[in-house]
Amino acid sequence: MSIEEQIKDILARITRVDKDIITRQSTFKEIKADSLDVVQALVAVEETFGIEIPDEEAQNFQNFGDFVSYVENRVGQKEKV
Amino acid sequence: MPFEGKLALVTGSGRGIGRSIALKLASQGADIIVNFFRHRESAEQTVKDIEALGVKAEIIRANVGDAAKVDELFDTIGSKFGRLDILINNAASGVGRPLMDIDTKAWEWTMDINARALLLCAQRAAKLMEGRDGKIVSISSLGSRFVLPNYTVVGVSKAALEALTRYLAVELAPQGICVNAVAASAVETEALKFYLKEGLVKDSRQLTPAGRMVIPEDVANVVAFLCSEEAFMIRGQIIIIDGGTSVGLFALAGKGE
Repeated sequence: MSIEEQIKDILARITRVDKDIITRQSTFKEIKADSLDVVQALVAVEETFGIEIPDEEAQNFQNFGDFVSYVENRVGQKEKV
Repeated sequence: MPFEGKLALVTGSGRGIGRSIALKLASQGADIIVNFFRHRESAEQTVKDIEALGVKAEIIRANVGDAAKVDELFDTIGSKFGRLDILINNAASGVGRPLMDIDTKAWEWTMDINARALLLCAQRAAKLMEGRDGKIVSISSLGSRFVLPNYTVVGVSKAALEALTRYLAVELAPQGICVNAVAASAVETEALKFYLKEGLVKDSRQLTPAGRMVIPEDVANVVAFLCSEEAFMIRGQIIIIDGGTSVGLFALAGKGE
């Protein structure tokens, strides 16, 4: 499963929305993710991919696509190391 | 210096009150373990500032609301240092919602970080404090005893933390461990700025007899005292730091309206 699909699963599980409504353009508000949902999603994603996403970085995510791109980037960097 | 050679773990010490406590204990000679969860940059800054005081600092990331992570945190401390003298149970989180909007997720998240973490950290810390006259101090808030808007779940978690402080104080006393807590009114921190912006709290300056809001250093000063030998006979207490706000006269007199 792609990174995007895995993050989508995590977000859908936490916010209890249908994963098919989540697109790269979706904002957290549109996914009905409140601040606690976002933190829990960040933690779950961190554990799934073995990376750390500081809040300073997460604050810049405008939508689901930003979140996915950040994780793809970090996972890519990790694999290079 | 009172804490020279002592090792202190301050949970949530990247920012705000925790950072201030870490710096205060460091300024009095303690080596500090800086724990953080979400803000690495701030925690790294705290470490630098502690080291500039001439003591040692170690950074360990852990969500104290997660039992497995608490175990990892203390496993690391155990293997690296094999001891602990001071535990400051400061890390906190919470969901600011009206009572009717609190779901089990918000309840468990807040209770796990604010209340259960004290139990789990104290259990592990007590073993590392054996024969060392340990000190455990937690950070509570006035919301444990007074009703504040959108504060239900945090207030209840802090009430649990305060009750646990009393039980720990009695049950850990035979091991020479002093356990207390402090409860502050709104403290001028980044977290408070967020709450003010969201309209969750009002600016309480005019309701404070002392004439200003509580600042992190006010809390740090009392915590440092509770960690000192001078506070040996204070056990299981919750010391209020609020500039007199909870005494209530100013509020009753309608000041600040």
